[in-house]
Amino acid sequence: MVEPGGQELLANEMRVRIGAVPHALEADDLPEYSWQLANGQFLLRTRGEHYFHYRRGEGVTIERGEGADASEEPLWLSGSVYSAVASINGFYPIHASAVCHEGAVHAFTGPSGAGKSTLCTALAARGLALFCDDTLVFDLSDPERVICLPGHKRLKLTEEALALTGAARQEKVGEAIEKFYAEPHALYRGGPLPLAELLFLEEGEDPRIEPLRGAERMVRLQDDHYTALHTAAARGFDAAGQFGHLATLAQRITASRFVRPWDQARFDAGADYVYSHIVGTCGKGEA
Amino acid sequence: MTALAKMTDKFSETRIDDEYVVMLLDTGEFLSLAGTAGAIWSLIDGTRGRDAILAALSDEYDAPEEAIAADLDEFLATLRGNGLLAEA
Repeated sequence: MVEPGGQELLANEMRVRIGAVPHALEADDLPEYSWQLANGQFLLRTRGEHYFHYRRGEGVTIERGEGADASEEPLWLSGSVYSAVASINGFYPIHASAVCHEGAVHAFTGPSGAGKSTLCTALAARGLALFCDDTLVFDLSDPERVICLPGHKRLKLTEEALALTGAARQEKVGEAIEKFYAEPHALYRGGPLPLAELLFLEEGEDPRIEPLRGAERMVRLQDDHYTALHTAAARGFDAAGQFGHLATLAQRITASRFVRPWDQARFDAGADYVYSHIVGTCGKGEA
Repeated sequence: MTALAKMTDKFSETRIDDEYVVMLLDTGEFLSLAGTAGAIWSLIDGTRGRDAILAALSDEYDAPEEAIAADLDEFLATLRGNGLLAEA
């Protein structure tokens, strides 16, 4: 049993209101589509005068100035803002989507476009409940286990991914974003769960899963995604601090590469393969 | 004998599974030290010189010193080249 404390804290910190916000946290102006994180605060500017500001203990404030597109707000709130809020509150977001099975989380990571959401949609269609899409938050406060906090579950899929998975298309994610929301077939509605494994998505001919050992596991955990940048900024990591953080993750996480074909004709073979892997390895938990 | 020591202000290190992972702080580059490289790395402790390390390796791997001396020297040269080694 995992206490829901982190989940409740994040839900409380992610409460949103509309209002005026500062337009910079540091001396430098904030260009469009950039962010600053300092002193327990996060400021994101998207298009035009559209700002998202978070201050620890006060929640999120959105300023809708000239050029703001309110329809994109769920995307920013479930992505960059959620990641920053998690980082500021002592958690560790990573760029991953995840499903769960028998009380443990199986997460998939890889660069944008690697197929994280698509694979999780396919696994949800096979009966595994979606745990989060695109941002997975770790709570490392328990020395015995890596705990995962349930995250946002509105899948964002490309036309190709919709075709591969047969998921029902909903509205467009944003005017300038060629993705569509989709509801997964199975949703996890419970509290935090321990991590079973983290799988790095790779493309290849025949589906296979190979453990990542030693330095390779650590190097693969390096990421230039905003989730990693938020963690580094919130913790004030220098190079040695970042190394120590990666080492901690690498020592505590079971990680493998999941190689599978990424063409429409063979997509199901990869999904079936990893589904069997998850069902067959249930209950192992992390190392 | 000149003892060999690590330049501890030049790197961070950790051990994952059976490998040492070393990051050069100047460049962010990672070195993976597994097998004999890891064994040599662990023997560099500021008290042993090159010959003592060679003898220890010879014992550990049950191999004649002549057979492993060249590999040891090459690895020590790599460490020196990365600024990780000091002659104490």
